[in-house]
This record gives sequence, C-alpha cells and structure tokens, in this order.
Amino acid sequence: MLEAFHNSGGQGTLFWVSIILYAAAAIFSLALMKNPKVCTLVSNGLCILASVFGIATSIIDIAIEKIHTDLYVFQSAIPYLSVDIRLDRLSSFFLLCLSVLVLCVSIYAIGYVSHYFGKRNVGVLHFLYAAFILSMIFVMTSGNAVFFFVAWEAMALLSYFLVIYESEKEENVNAGRLYIIMTHIGTAFLLIAFMIMFSYTRSFDMFGSSAAIPAFAKNIMFVLFLLGFGTKAGVVPVHIWLPYAHPAAPSHVSALMSGIMIKTAVYGLLRFVFSYLGVQNTWWGVAILVLGIVSALMGVAYAFVEKNIKRLLAYSSIENIGIIFIGLGIAFIAKAQGNSLVCGLALAASLFHCLNHTLFKGSLFLGAGSVHFASGTKNMEELGGLIKRMPVTAVLFLCGALSISAIVPFNGFISEWLTYQSLFANILPGHALINILTILSVAVLAMAGALAAASFIKLFGISFLGLPRSERASNAVEVPGVMNVGMGILVTLCLAVGLFPMAVLQMLDRVLTGFAGISILPQLKNGWLTAFSPLSISGNAVSPAVIAGVFAGVILAALVLIRIIGGKRRERKVGTWDCGFESLNARTQYSATGFSKPVKIALKILFRPSRVVKTEGDLVYHPESIQYLVGIEPIFERYLYDPISKLARSISHKIKYSVQTGSIHAYLIYILLTVLILMFYNRIA
Amino acid sequence: MSSYLDILSVLLLLSSFVLMANKRIKSHIRTFRFQSAMIALAAGILGVNSLIHEGRVDLLVVCAVIIAIKVIYIPRLLHRVYANVEYKVEKDFFLNIPILILGCCMIVVFTYFALSKTDGINTGTENMRVVNSVSLILIGLFFMISRKKAIGQIVGFLVIENGIFVTAMFATQGMPFIVDMGMFVDLLSAVMILGIMVFKINEKFDSIDINKLKNLRG
Repeated sequence: MLEAFHNSGGQGTLFWVSIILYAAAAIFSLALMKNPKVCTLVSNGLCILASVFGIATSIIDIAIEKIHTDLYVFQSAIPYLSVDIRLDRLSSFFLLCLSVLVLCVSIYAIGYVSHYFGKRNVGVLHFLYAAFILSMIFVMTSGNAVFFFVAWEAMALLSYFLVIYESEKEENVNAGRLYIIMTHIGTAFLLIAFMIMFSYTRSFDMFGSSAAIPAFAKNIMFVLFLLGFGTKAGVVPVHIWLPYAHPAAPSHVSALMSGIMIKTAVYGLLRFVFSYLGVQNTWWGVAILVLGIVSALMGVAYAFVEKNIKRLLAYSSIENIGIIFIGLGIAFIAKAQGNSLVCGLALAASLFHCLNHTLFKGSLFLGAGSVHFASGTKNMEELGGLIKRMPVTAVLFLCGALSISAIVPFNGFISEWLTYQSLFANILPGHALINILTILSVAVLAMAGALAAASFIKLFGISFLGLPRSERASNAVEVPGVMNVGMGILVTLCLAVGLFPMAVLQMLDRVLTGFAGISILPQLKNGWLTAFSPLSISGNAVSPAVIAGVFAGVILAALVLIRIIGGKRRERKVGTWDCGFESLNARTQYSATGFSKPVKIALKILFRPSRVVKTEGDLVYHPESIQYLVGIEPIFERYLYDPISKLARSISHKIKYSVQTGSIHAYLIYILLTVLILMFYNRIA
Repeated sequence: MSSYLDILSVLLLLSSFVLMANKRIKSHIRTFRFQSAMIALAAGILGVNSLIHEGRVDLLVVCAVIIAIKVIYIPRLLHRVYANVEYKVEKDFFLNIPILILGCCMIVVFTYFALSKTDGINTGTENMRVVNSVSLILIGLFFMISRKKAIGQIVGFLVIENGIFVTAMFATQGMPFIVDMGMFVDLLSAVMILGIMVFKINEKFDSIDINKLKNLRG
C-alpha cells in the first residue's frame, strides 16, 4: 500500500483516502448496526467525505498532463490474477459523475433512510450501499480484464441484494430474480469475450494492444461486448429487468443504479471496444446506433403509459441510455470512416449526456423517493396536489423534469443539442444508407424528446397539481430538509451545467484528448456562455445563458407592462365553476391513464391496448356497477422472453424424462458409450 | 513364464464370457471366484519371477491378499447376502444369452481395434494380454448393464475391478505395493457397502430388482 502512495501523484493519495473512507463506511455501518440513527449518520457522513475526495481526485487527474496513472499493481502468485488499479481521464470522468451523485445521494439518505428505522436492518443497507459504490469505483479504475470482471460481478451481486432489500414484498423478490438472471446472462457474454481476448493475446491487459486478434474474432468480440454491456445498460430488447429492478430498490439506491450503474456499461463499451479493439467496421457503429434508436423510442413510449412514478423514471432511463447510444453509434461510425471531428463531437455529446443523466435522473429518483417517503405510495393515481403540501420538493422535482425534457436553460438541452449536431454533421455525401439511418434517428430523437416532455408533464401534473386523489396524498407533509438539500445540489448543478456548458465541454475536451486523441475545442470557436456548433459551414450556436436572460427579461417586461396598462390587480378567490353539478372533487380530474390514452391509441401497433367493460345488473341504462379495465400488451415479454423460457422449460422437462430417467441401467449405458467413444476417438486421432 | 501368462490372460477373458452366459446368481459368484483365482495365479507367477530375478516379495504378498479377499472372503460375503434376500425366480436379463455373448465378442474386437495402434504396448504378446484385460473391464460394465438384480451389479463391479488390476499388472509387471493395497481396501469397503445397500433395497422395494429404483426419481 505504501508503494502505491509513492507510485502515484497527489490524486493517487486522494484516491486511496476516498477508498479507505468508503471501506470505513461499510465497516462502521455493520459495527453500529444496533443503533440505526448513529449508524446512518456515521456511514453517510463517511460516504460524503469520501465522495468529496473522489471529486478532487478526478478533477486533478483530468487537469494534469499525465494521461495514465498506475495507482496500484499487485501481482499475486496465481497466474493472471492481479489487482491492477489505473486512472486515466476517461475513468476519472466517470469517477467524477459517480462522486458527485454519491455526495448528493448520501446527504439525501441521512433523511430518507429514517423511515426504515425499527422496521429493517439499516446497518446492512448502509454496508451494501458503501460496498456497491466501492465496486463501481473498481469497475471504473481496473486495469486488467480479470479484476474488471471481479469488480463487475461484485457490482451485480451487491446491487441485487439492494434490489431485494425490502424482501417482504413478493414483487421485489421477483424483480431481483429477473435482474440477477439477466445480468448474469450479460456477464456470460463478457466472460466469453475476455476468453477470446486472452486466447489471442495471452494477456488480460485492458490497456494493451489488440493487434494479435484477427478481424473475424474482433467482430465476434464486438457482438459479445455489445450484448454483455447492453444488458447492463438496459437497451431494448435486453431491458426487461430494468423497469422492475430499479423501482424495487430503496430510492437513494435507485438513483445510484439509474444514475451511474448503467453508465458503467457505457464506460465498458468505450474502454473495451472503442479503445481496446479499435473501431474496425462501420456496421459496429450502425448496430449501436440502431439499438440506441430503438431504446430511445421504446423506452419513452413505455414511460409515457406508466402509472408508477419510479417505473416511469426507470423507463425514461432506457430512453436516455438510448440517446447516449445514439451518440456512441455516430462516434463509432465516424471513427470507422476516419472522420475524427464528428467522432469527437459525438463522443462529447454522449459523455455529456452521461453526466447530465446522472444529475437529473439522480435528482428525479430522489424526488420520487421524497414523494414515496411523504405519501407512502408510488402510484400516480393515488397522488395529486402535492405542490401545496411539499412545495420545496415540488419545485426541485419540476426543475429535474425540465432538465430531462431538454428545456433551456437546463442541462438536458445542451447534450441533446450536441447529439443532434453530431447527427447532422454525420450526413455526408456518398454514404446513402448511413445518411438515411442518420436522418431517421434525428426524427426518432425528436419524437422521443416530445414524448419525454409529455411523460414528465404527466408525471408532474398528475402527482403534484390538482386535488389529492387519496387520503395518503392529502396527509403528505414536506420531507426533512436534509433530503431537499441533497436533491437541491443536484438540481443546482443541472442549472449550472445548463448555463455554463463550455466549462463542462472544456473538461470533456481534455478527456477526449487523453482517451481518443481528438480535440474538439478549437472547433467550438469561442465564448464562455455560448456553445458553438463545430460545423464551420453553418456557424450554429446556442447560448442557454442568453436565452435564459432574454426569457427572464421578456417575462419581467410583460409583468411591468401589464402593471402599467392594467393598473393594480384585485385578487379574488372563488370556487371553480362546476356547471351546476355538485362540487368538483378529485374524481373529476384528468387521470394518469386518461392522459396517456391518446398516445396509446396512436401507437396502437406498439402497445396493443386491450379494454374490457364489465357491467353488472339487469338494467342496460341503469346498471349497478360498471367496471372498465384497460391494459397494454408487454410485447417483449410475450413474443421474445416467454417463448425462450418456455423452450428452456420444455427442454429441461424432456431431459428429465428421457435422459435423467432414474434407471441405473441407462446411466451405466451412458458410461459404457462414453468409454467406447473415447477409445474410438483415441484410435482415430 | 510368458506362455503361462498368455494362457491365464485368455482364461480370464473366457471366464468373463462364462460369467455373461451364467443364468443363476450362485454361478455368477462361482465364476467370479474362478476368475479371481486365475488372477491370483498370474500374480503368483509374476511374483515368483520377480523374487528370482530381483528379490522382490511384494507381488507374492499381493497374491496372498487376492486369495484371502477375492477368492475366499468376497464370494462368501456375496453368498451370505444372497441367502438373506428373498429368492425369486424371474428373468434376470434384458437381452437373451446368445445376443449378450455376441456383444461380448464385439467388445473384444473393438478393443483390439482401439488398442492396435497404441504406442508402447504394441510389442509382441503384451498387446494380446492388454487387449484381453481391457476387454475384461468393458465386459464387466456390459454385465452390469445386462442384469437386473443388484447382486449382478456387484459382480460386474468386481469384474471391472479385476480387469483394471490385471491390466495394470500386465502392463507394468506389478504396481507399487502401496497402490495395490490401497485398491484392495477400497474394494473391500465398496463391497461391504454394496452388500448393505442390497439389504436396504430389498427392504424398501421387496425386491432386489434395481429397475424399481426409478421410483426414487423426483
């Protein structure tokens, strides 16, 4: 360990301090299990401290000139099993995202976890939480594939235990089971890819050369990496675990899972495919782009019809990972065609969106946690009117929703704008098919953006506006201040990044220079408040700060004008006109299901909505009760996963009855045949 | 000496054919006893040989142990086990005897084919002995497959063990003493456990027909 301090610079020391603090948080949370209050304070306090060190580490590492820093290399006596921790600017960037999120989430958790006191063992939760963060740090900083794999598996297992933390609920256990199956299938693909990597290069070094791997093996490895990392990222069609697992975990953990865990897949793709294998064929990029398009559209379409707040956010994560993959796909295509400017721009766009998604999805999951904390339900149909009862949470949630809907001056706008720009820049004469695909993805991205905005209008409008739809919603009170502080920091960062995008772009430029050898900053012209399109031909530019300023100015001017023209307003409070019926109540409001109905009908081909009307009573015009059920068909479960699981089940059933017969004679025959075949093989070989 | 060993090797193979043709359990045990005696004889011949040329006595000790365990103790144990379980005359095998004998012949031919190119054992008569003893192993396994009653399985298992022992002995002119002894201890405990299991099977299923064990499957 001492050697490690000597080997590395200042950021190395900071890194180890943060690792030790996280480990201490894990240990103390188990030691102080008996006293939940102290345990929560100590554990989260240590995590907050550790994350501050983590932020410092990553900022220093991005700022200094040295590209690679070996933090710790330990060769064990067992061959190829070595602990190898390295920091380069790409890892530092993801470490920065993680640390910022952990800082806010840990502050939030001090308040949020209090509702588990006396019900569940909080010490275990904090232990898993800290260990989960540690495993993600090691995924981001490991230097060889074996250690990466160990950290990756640890991350999967720890997050599984966090998903089933509230294990008394049947649905959580089922969600956890689905998650662990899917993630292990993904890991299996990675394992095969690592084995191929080793069989050609005789080395597990992630930073080494892949020159010894022939082209066809690289193609196979790409497909394996895409499937393996895609499962973790939750791209359609291997997304099915995500909408169940993310809502099942405690909300601050959901924020981590959705905010950063699925990004480790993006890191893996960049590290292993972009950097290690090197982009070889154009179709690699096309495959990623197509997955991105499908995920963006499907994710947001399902988000729009969802009633559970946290599940809506989880589907929206699928959409955002789709947008990130669109950027990645363009980067891969451009790289394969040798267009380094577009490649750099697209990479910047997708990394920027990673950061943004970390910030706003983190804040939204924390907001959903606050709503659940205050009202005890995640079902939108039972909420409503929360803006009166929890004003601070409502404002913060609104800001998060604006960010994710890509509204100026929040951060979501910048990265989506950059993604659009890189898509437009990728339209070049001579590549007809790719041009068509690119134009299609522009259209899909636009549609996804519109649907995302609609989803968050629905989420905010149904849950926070109007009248409370249930007892629980009307009894909700504002959450403890410390929870709003955690969420507030994230929302402030969303706004700051949105107003000063160039600061982030400068950082991203250093990341790209270190990692891909591309610098886009000279092409971004100048300006501190303005993000310029790097296209020299059109000179597109956008400045969120100016837009925000003008917008505020216009509103102010309008208010002043109204005051001057209209004179002093008199405020009067009367009930809403109710057409002469009885007074309006919560039942007369627009419901979440009703709000999404038009889109459900318009996208009938995707949702295949079903409707059942049950009428009880003899009288046609005056029935005793009418029951109206609407549902959508889960097409992926029904047409992809059900047949596969049925097939697996029938095969195992057949094996049970035809191979594993229970007859000793049959087993002896298997042995005899095996011996005979082996003897025969030995003879002819 | 070599011609004695050749004759013994052929006799061993012949005894396994005889075993396959036996219908009654008592004759199974008798044939096994005969086979074990042949092995003891072979070990004795090799032992005398090594005593004269190298001054080693271990193979003679092995010969004595074989006589004690395989010729005297195990057949007696099997007789006792068989006497204690209920005796029912019923068809014990799946295929009829001629087909089984034909199968054995095919196994010998196959073994000859499989080993004909193997290096190191392909010199002169050694090859014939190894082919015979490897066939003995496979015929033992085939015998286990062909019989329904649990005692048939025990005898088959013992024949496989005999085959392995003879193969090792012919191929190496006597294995290290401690390995031989270890094998005997193994064998002894295995046969005792199998004997107890036969009682248990008989107790549970009112028969020693191992086909009925299918019911155990979940």
